[in-house]
Amino acid sequence: MNIVIRKLIAKELYVYRWLIAGGAFAGVASILIASLGKGGFNIGALTWLTTIIATGVVLALYGIMNERKEQSLQFVLSLPLSISEYVRAKMLGLFAGFLIIWSISCAAALVLVFFKASVPDGLAPYVTLLSVFMLANFAVVLCGALHTQSEAMTSAVIVVTNMGVSIFMFTVGPLPGLQKHMWSPAPVWNDTFWTVLGCELAVLVIAFTLPFIFAARRRDFL
Amino acid sequence: MDHKHIEMRSVRKSYRFFTLDDLSMSLEPGEVMGFVGPNGAGKSTTLRLAMGMIAPDAGEIHVLGHAMPDAQAAAKRDIGYVSAEMRLLPNATLGWHMEFVKSIYPEWDGGYAAALVKRFNLRPEQNARSLSVGEHVKATLLLALARRPRLLILDEPTNGLDPVARHEVISEFMDVLRDDNRSILYSSHNTVDVERISDRITFIDRGRVVESSNKEDFLDRWRRIHVQLPAGVSLPDLPNIVGRVEDGQFITLTTNQYSEGLRALIGSHVRDVQRMNLEEIFVANVMFHREARGA
Repeated sequence: MNIVIRKLIAKELYVYRWLIAGGAFAGVASILIASLGKGGFNIGALTWLTTIIATGVVLALYGIMNERKEQSLQFVLSLPLSISEYVRAKMLGLFAGFLIIWSISCAAALVLVFFKASVPDGLAPYVTLLSVFMLANFAVVLCGALHTQSEAMTSAVIVVTNMGVSIFMFTVGPLPGLQKHMWSPAPVWNDTFWTVLGCELAVLVIAFTLPFIFAARRRDFL
Repeated sequence: MDHKHIEMRSVRKSYRFFTLDDLSMSLEPGEVMGFVGPNGAGKSTTLRLAMGMIAPDAGEIHVLGHAMPDAQAAAKRDIGYVSAEMRLLPNATLGWHMEFVKSIYPEWDGGYAAALVKRFNLRPEQNARSLSVGEHVKATLLLALARRPRLLILDEPTNGLDPVARHEVISEFMDVLRDDNRSILYSSHNTVDVERISDRITFIDRGRVVESSNKEDFLDRWRRIHVQLPAGVSLPDLPNIVGRVEDGQFITLTTNQYSEGLRALIGSHVRDVQRMNLEEIFVANVMFHREARGA
């Protein structure tokens, strides 16, 4: 990895430092709220989900679309790098930023599941799947934003991926292999879990790889 | 090997409502080329092609000996690019930008950067979001100049600047030109600025190069000839006349190849021959070529 890519990755982390710090803080705070009894659990869970999704959307929108709209893309492209290096730096930088928020928030959720007596450990597989789903979801948003040059198309990708979270909860949650063990005292890492996780990881890998293959080969970037 | 700093051959770039067609031009080391055209003529497209930010549909582009856009990373090591539209990263200060650019370019001249901060009256601690248009241009110029690039590509850098700021910026360009091996491609529709710093001028209109020549050559060749004809007398067929305006017995001719021979052809009816400034030459040139193309 050359110095310009490393500097651009660091740039993403610096420019969005407050969003990243705020997102991570809100993720942990949501889990603290979720630990305050049943009502708190519902509010906290909702805030936790919203925090992770919203920060992902804001990162993609500001990191890609606004950079283009506010013409700071010209400044970045005037640096000694190729289009493919720009795409690589952008993917890695924004993904690293989101990964900080995501890993802290998800780790906090798993701590709640495993260490709070009133929350059954059996929820761990579902929380893991939901967390990985949101990571894959962010990769899809990022992939969409880098592929399309239109704000409308990026917004459409965001709407679809946000709907995807609800669809995930309605379809994956009720899967017998998961639902049956959700309230168990111990987590069950069965075939259903591994199958869903495999699908999520496949989407994540594809969405993460596509920009390196297609967007990186674009010859017009303004 | 001393390459041409920019060489474009038969470049074509098409958009839905605009085509840059058959563009050929070159910029020698140490040369300052003013790239002049009306709004929407294709100036920014040409400069972005030179920067590798967009790729041509046809033709060849070499910048500092590198094929563009494929070798743009290597070429841009030695290019300073400033555009009036370009903005710095909104959530970072000018000081952060200076450190950022310095960390990428080993040639960064800290002393020169500090001098420019002072000369342009900028504050490194100021956030880019709060910079005015003029401050933004000066800040991007500082970031480009302090790298000491061999080639400066400037896309209407004085747009939106007040006269004092424009003077400061143009003076800085003049300073850059003390080094004979550095060159500038400077696009603008402000012919006063272009006339001040350019050695060579290229006029572009509606996606085509209209004419490219040395500045002195333009200024020497183009003339406005005021003629007064007595009743019943008409002018002979005159060569190289690109504009003609009649007002009764008074006729104003514009020529792009003035010579004493032309004056002799008109004879004693010539009342006055005026030199033209670059803006007048630019407008006359563009209008003549539009008429010739039947636009």
